[in-house]
Amino acid sequence: MEPSVHLAPGAERNGFATMTAQLIRQNADDHPAKKATLARMIGRVALVVEDLGMSLTLVFEGGRLTVYDGIVGIPDLTVRAPSEWHMKMSLVELEPRFGLPNPRGEVAREVFEAGRRGEVKTYGALASLPLMLRLTKVMSVA
Amino acid sequence: MAHEFPSQEWTDAFKDAVNANEDYRTHGKPWTFGAVAMVCEKDPSLGLDDDMAMYFDVHEGECRGATLSKGRASVEHAPFVIVAPYARWKEVINGEVDPIKAMMEGKLKMTKGHLPTMLRFVESSRALVVSATKVPTSFKDE
Repeated sequence: MEPSVHLAPGAERNGFATMTAQLIRQNADDHPAKKATLARMIGRVALVVEDLGMSLTLVFEGGRLTVYDGIVGIPDLTVRAPSEWHMKMSLVELEPRFGLPNPRGEVAREVFEAGRRGEVKTYGALASLPLMLRLTKVMSVA
Repeated sequence: MAHEFPSQEWTDAFKDAVNANEDYRTHGKPWTFGAVAMVCEKDPSLGLDDDMAMYFDVHEGECRGATLSKGRASVEHAPFVIVAPYARWKEVINGEVDPIKAMMEGKLKMTKGHLPTMLRFVESSRALVVSATKVPTSFKDE
């Protein structure tokens, strides 16, 4: 099934939600490997932009992604960070073979360090590691 | 002497400020993705009876041309189009908002363009904003 990205009713008023939907859609259109990854993703991810007081929920249903305004349902994975770090997370370098985050990448290391300092907080990453890695892959523009 | 925003004089001064910006020359050097248009939405209370569109032919760290025209349709050929009301552009010119953060908040709307490319050039976007702050500007609502 060809993956598709949709905005839930009301989400068009959330700039972060429209940007995220556009980013994932265009990334999938550009990269067949990201499109294939998106088609396999199942789970619910909440992204919270702490300094802007904004949040969204990504609901992946095996090829269909719906982006909601605010936190909807119980997320498998939650990422809380200031806007600067959400933007940086889309620049995390991927290693070419499997498209996983490259731990040697400059931005990847910065994000990791921000996590250690508590500036980027992830909840559920261990229990939902495949979802976390796939999310990084479909959102990265690097 | 301050240039009224928006006007052809302001647009020309912005082009000069971009070309004088060393940071933009550096970060914008790999940019070969076409012109960027900035549209100020119409606001009859400020004497703007139509959308005002500024078209910047940016290429490899240089602004090769800048024009002001009436109507959104006049820049529909630009690969990237960013739209905002007058008050938002005023905040950008005054250096009060980060361009990417403003897009996340929905203050600036990219109505046309490839978001992954824009995110890869976040530093050159910021350098463009810094250039705008260097233009002596008078505003219609002051």
